Amino acid sequence: MNNKTTEYIKIFLKELFYVLFSGGRYFYIWMSSLTLFAAAGVWFYLRQFDEGLVFTNMREQVSWGLYISNFTFLVGIAAAAVILIIPAYLHHSKELKKIVVLGELLAVTAVTAALLFVFADMGRPDRLWHAIPGIGTLNFPRSILAWDMLVLNSYLFLNFFTALYIGAHRYFGLEPDKRIALPLILISIPMAVGIHTVTAFVYNGLAARPFWNASILAPRFLASAFCSGPALMIILFQVLRKFTDFKIESRAIFKIAEIMVYAMALNLFLMLTEVFKEYYSNTIHLAPMQYLFTGLHGHHNLVPFIWTAIAFDVTAFFIFLVPWTRMNFKTLNLGCVLVFIGIWIEKGMGLIIPGFIPDALGEIYEYTPSLHEGVISIGIWAVGCMLYTLFVRFIVAVDTGRLRHPSAPPIIHEEKETVTAQDIMTTRIISVKHDTPISRISDILVSNRISGVAVVDKEKKVIGVVSEEDIIFKEIRNDPKLVERLGGTILPETSKDRVFEGNIASDIMTSPAVTALEGTPLSELITAIITDKKTKRIIIVDKEGHASGIVSMIDVVKALEKV
Amino acid sequence: MKKDMTRRDFIKLSALGLGASLSACSETITWDDLFQKKFQEMKPDEIKRFLKKLEDRYSKKYGKTFTVKATPPQENVVFGYGLDLSRCIGCRRCVYACVGENNPSRDVQIHWIRVLRMKKGEFNLEKTEPYYDADKVPEDGYFYLPVQCQQCENPPCVKVCPVKATWKEPDGIVVIDYNWCIGCRTCMAACPYRARKFNWNDPVLPKDEINTDTHYLGNRPRMKGVVEKCTFCIQRSREGKYTACVEVCPVGARKFGNLLDPKSDIRYILDNFRVFRLKEDLNTESKFYYFFSLG
Amino acid sequence: MMEGFNKHVGVALLTVLAVMLFPVSALIVSGADMEYSFDSPKVFSSEMFPCSACHAGMKADSTRRTLAYHTEIQLKGHGETRMWCFGCHNAGDRDKLKLAGGEKVDFMELHRLCGQCHENIYKHWRAGIHGKRTGYWDGPKRYFLCTFCHNPHSPRFKPLAPKPVPLRPTETLRGRK
Repeated sequence: MNNKTTEYIKIFLKELFYVLFSGGRYFYIWMSSLTLFAAAGVWFYLRQFDEGLVFTNMREQVSWGLYISNFTFLVGIAAAAVILIIPAYLHHSKELKKIVVLGELLAVTAVTAALLFVFADMGRPDRLWHAIPGIGTLNFPRSILAWDMLVLNSYLFLNFFTALYIGAHRYFGLEPDKRIALPLILISIPMAVGIHTVTAFVYNGLAARPFWNASILAPRFLASAFCSGPALMIILFQVLRKFTDFKIESRAIFKIAEIMVYAMALNLFLMLTEVFKEYYSNTIHLAPMQYLFTGLHGHHNLVPFIWTAIAFDVTAFFIFLVPWTRMNFKTLNLGCVLVFIGIWIEKGMGLIIPGFIPDALGEIYEYTPSLHEGVISIGIWAVGCMLYTLFVRFIVAVDTGRLRHPSAPPIIHEEKETVTAQDIMTTRIISVKHDTPISRISDILVSNRISGVAVVDKEKKVIGVVSEEDIIFKEIRNDPKLVERLGGTILPETSKDRVFEGNIASDIMTSPAVTALEGTPLSELITAIITDKKTKRIIIVDKEGHASGIVSMIDVVKALEKV
Repeated sequence: MKKDMTRRDFIKLSALGLGASLSACSETITWDDLFQKKFQEMKPDEIKRFLKKLEDRYSKKYGKTFTVKATPPQENVVFGYGLDLSRCIGCRRCVYACVGENNPSRDVQIHWIRVLRMKKGEFNLEKTEPYYDADKVPEDGYFYLPVQCQQCENPPCVKVCPVKATWKEPDGIVVIDYNWCIGCRTCMAACPYRARKFNWNDPVLPKDEINTDTHYLGNRPRMKGVVEKCTFCIQRSREGKYTACVEVCPVGARKFGNLLDPKSDIRYILDNFRVFRLKEDLNTESKFYYFFSLG
Repeated sequence: MMEGFNKHVGVALLTVLAVMLFPVSALIVSGADMEYSFDSPKVFSSEMFPCSACHAGMKADSTRRTLAYHTEIQLKGHGETRMWCFGCHNAGDRDKLKLAGGEKVDFMELHRLCGQCHENIYKHWRAGIHGKRTGYWDGPKRYFLCTFCHNPHSPRFKPLAPKPVPLRPTETLRGRK
């Protein structure tokens, strides 16, 4: 390693240290309190590690409790972080693309925290290596838990690597290679569905637990994940907007909220179907649901919680459904908090505990978490919050240029603030060769319902435009009787001098075409269309002159509406 | 990567923590233990050394001479169990005979056999009472259903174990390698009979009640954080003896034998009595048959 | 006279042997090819056996009454309305039992007597699945004579005191004390 690299590394570490550990007053209060909670969690965990899980209130009858409840919930959060990727990359929503990395980092944090909960729940964490394939004996593919371990770790690695990849590139002022970044990002969509389906299957496949042994469990998991995860993100993004230089448009936030409505509706519907099935069939398997909703044989600890959760979920649903409350940040945030807590209850404790009550031999043991479980759980959540805070500080610093490689070019901030041709153009542009017959062009215009085509040469460079006006004027010029039939037409001045002889594109095209580069700001485009050239469309070209899109009047109208 | 650091840190911390702790009951995890090979993968001489190591450790800990065997299964033997529900009086002598034979922890209390009291006239596993406390049994109007590991032929617990720490032996006994179990308790969630028990802390064994004649996969003393269960007294049954619960039953409600031997007790029962198995609809193919020889 | 003396010595020796052998736990009886083990001290203790020692000189009295000597024998729950002592015991020869057809059986074969009425159980017992099981599933079966477990005059088991209730999930031994 030469001296320069060592220098750079030193600079990087120093800058990183400042980015991560220095900040304003709120930052210090936030991080200090989290550290306290985390330390308490570690302290209690050491006691548990030393003496065993006897410090929890889990026993033979209820052998999974608060830890696994939190694990289940967090896997959902991790899966839902991907909700941003779908609209961002599949619908080319540029504002969401920027915050995809934040979603990925949330996924990393959530999976890490979920795995910490698994670790806390294990009887022999010192034997964790037994599950590593190749070194230990992982029971793949028979054990669904083995699948879960593989899938969760892959998802963690995938998201971590992608975020690091993008972050590192931005640090060096480079554009991430789309051929690497895009597949990774897109793969995380099925993987996200995968992690939560597999986690659902861990419970789903246990015939001994009728409360979980229902096919509906995996869809329910996904639906509730897509309520709770985005709710958290909506709150997070507002916090980021306030405390960092990161710009996240309200439009993006409302888009997420819109998607959530469907998830919430589905979640409530699926819950309803489960309740109907058990109550109407009224078999012995109704017992766990009875315990949850109305109490069983005098035991009713969970009843107030589940009804609170339902009340929260339903209220949140209506808040999100009604556009007036959805697009009002006060009510939106309330809705987010309600649905987050509601899902935590019904998917965490409200799912795991009734699975064991009554147990396989009919016994009812009312499990409530112990102090140890509570402190350790809060500690792990605190670690998660700390982790995400540090991740965000890193990404924001890299994105705004505060953390940047010394020899990287400076960030051009104007690009972010103005709308350019690239943002508003229609990317579907049809071009014809210079010798295309006019009749063919007419067909193209009519069948595609467009107003003009670009004319390109052999190297696919734009040399002209044939528009609908050019065709009409040609017809009229060449057929005077048509003029009479149409009742006399006043031809615009510009076309009086033009010759409309011939039958191919190059005969009637307007040349040179009115073009603009991809980065041209909106203001210039409007000027061109309205004032200067009196053209109805502008062909957008790249640096080599190839057509990449078209901006016409209607695109301008759309752009003005958005802005 | 992050998890790796956590594990190493914890191992270091735990080594320090445990080294400092002087509890006589707490088992010290040595460096060897952390990287102990899986029993199933050991060669015969490795097994021999390993068993000797365990014997020494147990002898030292409990102040008695231990034997830890690894008796293999007999050929052409698959164990089956019969329980005569018309005779069981719910006296729980089987429960405590098992405790005396198999060294489970007394605190947190572990019983491999659980006797459920049920009302005559129904057979509803949601309406059972394990904590019945009568002066004399049997009580009027009730009958008793003892439940222990059913040694399923299609065991749901074996299927779900993420590290293959539990498996079915050729003689039909579902066993656990206590040194391989990671304590995730998925098997406990998967068992429809609540047969699997967990050591929530270091087992507490009163020194004068310890059984020193043990089997590696059976009744050797366990450690905290691992799962255990009835093994049809593997240390006895593989040497041709009856299990402790069968022997102690004062009314002869328990029967045991080789399902592959047409002349065995259990085969006679299957041929002559109508038997059933618990939760048969779950397809576990349990080898624990309940029957009624009287009314 | 020597012969007579030898005969008495022989009988005495046999008696001593018989007395010594009976309390021993395992006895092999041919014919049924089974290994018995039984322990019925009251009847077969040296005080009681042979019964003819007292009863040879007594007259057999078959009236239903409270017994003067064998006060501990209460015929209860075993056909006491249908039978009395001589339903099973031999009035003429107290050292043997009597089958329904009149055949005398030894106490060591009393299962044949019980089996007359309790045929199903007798069948199961012969197959080895009735009653207590100890020893080896993988070896010769160990059989217990009926009276090892059942009091012949009141065979039904009395209710037992059950062993302690299991601890509740979060109860500890210390907590209970």
